[in-house]
Amino acid sequence: MHGLCIGLLYQKWCTIIDGDFMKKLIPLLIILTVIGIIAVIIISMAKDKQPVTILKNNIEMKALPLKVNFTNDPYCKMLITTERNSVQVVSPDGDTWFFDDPGCMILWIQEKSFRDNAKIWIHAIDTKRWIDARKAWYGIADQTEMHYGFGAREKKVEGTIDFKEMELRMLRGENLANPKIRKKLLGE
Amino acid sequence: MNEALFSNQVIVFLLGESILFALLLVAFVVTLKVLVKWDFESFTPFQFALERQSYLVSTIILFVFILKFILVAYFIFSIDTLASLLPGAMCGAGVIKANDYGSYLLILKFFILFLLTLWLYVHFYDMRTKNHQWFKHKSWLFGLIFLFIVLELALNYAYFTNIDTHMPVSCCAALFGQLEGANPLPFGLSVPLLLVLFYLLYTLLILTLQSGYTILYVIANILFVFIAYYAVVYFFGTYIYQLPTHKCPFCMLQPEYYYVGYLLWGSLFMGSYIGLSDAVSMMWLGKKEMRSQKLVVVLLSIFVLLCTAYVSGYYIRNGVLL
Repeated sequence: MHGLCIGLLYQKWCTIIDGDFMKKLIPLLIILTVIGIIAVIIISMAKDKQPVTILKNNIEMKALPLKVNFTNDPYCKMLITTERNSVQVVSPDGDTWFFDDPGCMILWIQEKSFRDNAKIWIHAIDTKRWIDARKAWYGIADQTEMHYGFGAREKKVEGTIDFKEMELRMLRGENLANPKIRKKLLGE
Repeated sequence: MNEALFSNQVIVFLLGESILFALLLVAFVVTLKVLVKWDFESFTPFQFALERQSYLVSTIILFVFILKFILVAYFIFSIDTLASLLPGAMCGAGVIKANDYGSYLLILKFFILFLLTLWLYVHFYDMRTKNHQWFKHKSWLFGLIFLFIVLELALNYAYFTNIDTHMPVSCCAALFGQLEGANPLPFGLSVPLLLVLFYLLYTLLILTLQSGYTILYVIANILFVFIAYYAVVYFFGTYIYQLPTHKCPFCMLQPEYYYVGYLLWGSLFMGSYIGLSDAVSMMWLGKKEMRSQKLVVVLLSIFVLLCTAYVSGYYIRNGVLL
């Protein structure tokens, strides 16, 4: 019964389609539909200007240029407004995430399976270039975006700590965001 | 040996695939012999024997190819049941990502299904002619399909023997849901524009079906399948699960959702395969099948109506959208 109905409907459709009027109308409808499809795709591609959260295919695990004011930190969700002290993590399959503060990166990467294999770049505040975050030296009372206080330097200076120590302090909560530590370090 | 290989479904699946492969291997050897020695102008007993053999081989291939369609559905069912063995997996999505072979195997299976549909078309056209006009086309196509099936069999074994049941895998929520703000949709589409594109492409498909713009029809068909996949995963699927955060192409294959995924994906892919095969045979052999056009309209309309029904049903019941 259903098959018969569908058959009859299809026959009716074919009769309409075969009519002279429809023969002229269908190419017009096809053109309009194609224009509609192209318009939707073009509009979408033009509007695809939302902030970057993840970049793909960085297989060489290089430091990528950071689009300032156009990239979100996946941990604190803040827009990254400066290159200074920002971090990027590249997973072995080429996915790259950006962070506004090394503290955010430490908290975010803990639960990732690629934690030990990821390449981590940090924008040094002294030499102002991307360096290996694991080899950087960190101040403990610097001005940083999320106020954790760990500012990365390429060259070791007095009072700086290494990556492992910075990671440990971050996980223990021993950073400037902790009022007790802040008071101790800055006297505030 | 991993535990996945002791699963009833996997044993049945691998055994089934191996038996079908053995049949196809015989068919392939005979086809090669027939192809080399085929001379339709000849009236020798040898030629008659070849014609009988080719008929037998075609029947074997037809039988195997029909079973291959059922086996793909069974493969999906098998990986879905394996989810209970793998830590972290909630459905087939996690199981298919359990190693590097899974995704390639699934894509290859879908591609082979398209080639099988095309072969079935050429076979039926060939059987209708008195002089087996399309025999050589059909045989070369079978040769190509056989090579892909060899690769598929190797991938089947590589995939199932490399599933580590002690290694946690990601569940579908991690694979499709947690994208950390990244837009998963193609062309930078938003969900409303994705839906506009989905319905526009369906309209274009139906309009071009009878118009004779074969190339446009093929492009619309491929683009529709591509967009429909995203539309189901990132919009219509959430209405099937009735959960805005649940985005998965596999969970809908489970009994909790009345196995609706089989009907949904089956109607989409079969509609697309039949449409594409019809268009390719039109361009390749100059043949067109009116009945298949009707079938394409029915299958794709079932798919679109089913998707739409879930959204409208939810809206009618709750008065809001997700």
